[in-house]
Amino acid sequence: MPTDTKRVRGPDVSQSPVLLGYKPAAVLASRGPREDGRQRDQVDVRPVFVRCGLVSQAKGSAYIEAGNTKLISCVYGPRETDRKDETDMKSGRLTTDVRFAPFSCPERVPWIQGSQDKDLSLMLHESLQPAVCLQRYPRSQIDVSVMVLENSGSALAHAVTCASLALADAGIEMYDLVLGCSLQQVGSSYVVDPSYLEENGWRCNSSESRGGLTVAFLPSLNQISGLQSDGEMSEETLTAGVRTCIEGCYKLYPVIQKVLTKAVRRAAPPST
Amino acid sequence: MAGIELLSDQGYRLDGRKATELRKVQARLGVFAQADGSAYLEQGNTKVLAVVYGPHEMRGSRSRTLHDRAVINCQYSMATFSTAERKRRPHGDRKSTEMSLHLKQTFEAAVMTQLFPRSQIDIYVKILQSDGGNYSVCVNAATLAVIDAGIPMRDYVCACTVGFVDETPLADLCYAEESGGVSSLALALLPRGGQIALVQMDARLHQDHLEALIEAATTACKGVSKVLDEVVRQHLQEASVLTGED
Amino acid sequence: MATVQVSEAEKVYILHGIRDDLRVDGRGCEDYRHMEIETDVVSNTDGSAKVTLGHTAVLVGVKAEIGKPRPMIPNEGYLEFFVDCSANATPEFEGRGGEELGTNLSNVLYKVFSNKHSLDLHSLSISPGEHCWVLYVDVLLLQCDGNLYDAISIAIKAALFNTKIPRVNITSDDEGGKEIELSDDPYDCMRVNVENVPCIVTLCKVGHRHVVDATLQEKACSVASLIIAVTHNGTITCSRKVGGGSLDPESIFEMTETGKRVGKALHAPLMKLLQQEESLSKKRVRVGFLC
Repeated sequence: MPTDTKRVRGPDVSQSPVLLGYKPAAVLASRGPREDGRQRDQVDVRPVFVRCGLVSQAKGSAYIEAGNTKLISCVYGPRETDRKDETDMKSGRLTTDVRFAPFSCPERVPWIQGSQDKDLSLMLHESLQPAVCLQRYPRSQIDVSVMVLENSGSALAHAVTCASLALADAGIEMYDLVLGCSLQQVGSSYVVDPSYLEENGWRCNSSESRGGLTVAFLPSLNQISGLQSDGEMSEETLTAGVRTCIEGCYKLYPVIQKVLTKAVRRAAPPST
Repeated sequence: MAGIELLSDQGYRLDGRKATELRKVQARLGVFAQADGSAYLEQGNTKVLAVVYGPHEMRGSRSRTLHDRAVINCQYSMATFSTAERKRRPHGDRKSTEMSLHLKQTFEAAVMTQLFPRSQIDIYVKILQSDGGNYSVCVNAATLAVIDAGIPMRDYVCACTVGFVDETPLADLCYAEESGGVSSLALALLPRGGQIALVQMDARLHQDHLEALIEAATTACKGVSKVLDEVVRQHLQEASVLTGED
Repeated sequence: MATVQVSEAEKVYILHGIRDDLRVDGRGCEDYRHMEIETDVVSNTDGSAKVTLGHTAVLVGVKAEIGKPRPMIPNEGYLEFFVDCSANATPEFEGRGGEELGTNLSNVLYKVFSNKHSLDLHSLSISPGEHCWVLYVDVLLLQCDGNLYDAISIAIKAALFNTKIPRVNITSDDEGGKEIELSDDPYDCMRVNVENVPCIVTLCKVGHRHVVDATLQEKACSVASLIIAVTHNGTITCSRKVGGGSLDPESIFEMTETGKRVGKALHAPLMKLLQQEESLSKKRVRVGFLC
């Protein structure tokens, strides 16, 4: 849309008033119970609500809700590759696309994919690729897209879970499901499956060192397909954190399995 | 002339050079091992890296293939930190696209493209530090890179930017002179035959002065070609000593 | 990035070598290739450094500009990273071809510096809520021969060490208006404390072992790598798995341990080298690309 440059408009960059008057409360204290009543220093993941196959036009789809984090994922393909010059005769191509809905975060997110979304897409790609039998789909392309409807923390971890579920729902051959779990280290304690405030509140105050960690895990193969950490952590806390995240993934595993069997049953009811 | 005095009464310029004096040229061939040809050239404070890949098979769309000669593909880009004020994008803006086109035209005139039909030669230049005469320095560096790649050329292509101040042509302008409102002319020359590969001027100049200006540019280009020739000879000598073919 | 084709026989050769702690170029599993560092190579910047590691060549320029601080953190300056994968490195990067790799690399750099201690951002504040220094860290890839992350992080550390930010004086007039005045004296400048700036160590899993500073051949044999950013006291500021495969949890722990050890050992000689070069000051012969 052509913009009217003659009229005097507002400032080029606008900021949400929420940010200016933003005072993180005691929720960020590294002691005491968490805001949503979960336990600190324990593998206390939020209960999840998961459903498969809600987008009828996609080959496979999944919806996940963990606390207030809500994501939807769709899988299209396998189909012919878009870029003919990059056709691989031996294995298929997996493309991933993570987007935040404009209303998903406290601050409005522009529709155009920013560098954060690109980074998440790359991480999702890294995490999913080892699990998909791409050699089964030569010369073709599988598209995975994830839309974050509401970001209340741990978006990447749940995106991984959701996308792998959508892949399975699409009937794409996989070695294993991929489950994601994240953790936030504040000082000497940690919180599993952090909320948005717990994830981002450190920027304003707290002199304690903190770090974030996200792990993507293949539960039945016992392999880590994605790992990302930032902030400050010692080697011991990182190692312990990875172990905790794996534990968190195992907690999620039965729920995901149940949802998947339910979806399969519905698609092909057992003949009695 | 408003602002700064570009040429003093004693005939000295801002950086203490005489009107026809070039900046110090230092160059080195074969800077990078992975490219087919590469060169680094400093002309005063302007520093440029040039890299040549090819001749190789056409990359991307085959439709650009020429059946009687090679396609020359140039990309000019500036490092984001090369100018005093930070640039947002290294290439892709209108000025760099124009510069890429000029380089392409220059080298199409100099490289013996008819020897490599249906192939492509890539010339990439990168300005690391910019202090005037960007086009000329790029051409000089790219010539060395093409020579380093062993691609036959009709002659060296040497370029120089000249300006016209107080009825005097100034050779090899620096940034302060270029931005000082001088009408400047860039000339790329094949010095041996005295052929002009590219001449460009986008300022106002009386036509009586044009001849003098081109004359000055030609002399300056010949000066540059001497320096480049020396660099190439020295490089070859070193290379042949190393391989024991002295 | 010259693409390498490695045949099955070559792969076996490389794998067996690494199993016995002997790599194709004669290094051990935790050795770096020959590295060259030079600071202050581009005079238009406030700080710059050039690093070559094997055939990989990286040039980093740091420019300091005055900007507006972020609303949530009014009393701190910030860093901006940009990685330019120039066509010099490979023709594939021509046009927009290098953009994807560039954003990936700069995203990792943002992550590496997203903590309170890597760089003292408070010292970059000029007047809280109004003005701060923004350090633009521009990375220019000139040649890729494996292990980009390590080379870039070392070059950034060297360039930040070399960065000289002019001092500013704030004078306020009667009406409460503030005026910023830059110091004219080039020696009257502020330095950035780089002690805590992390270095990235990339560990490549080849066979059952992992190697530091993998060449392109070795990278072609590996399933996945782990990048770890380590500060001088062993704190890990970023870690990430890259490459298509997956890793066993146990091997991740082993690789983290190696990464921390190698990274910690990297800092002391690097700082010593930078200080040595600094102490030469005017006597130093600038070589740049001329040798």
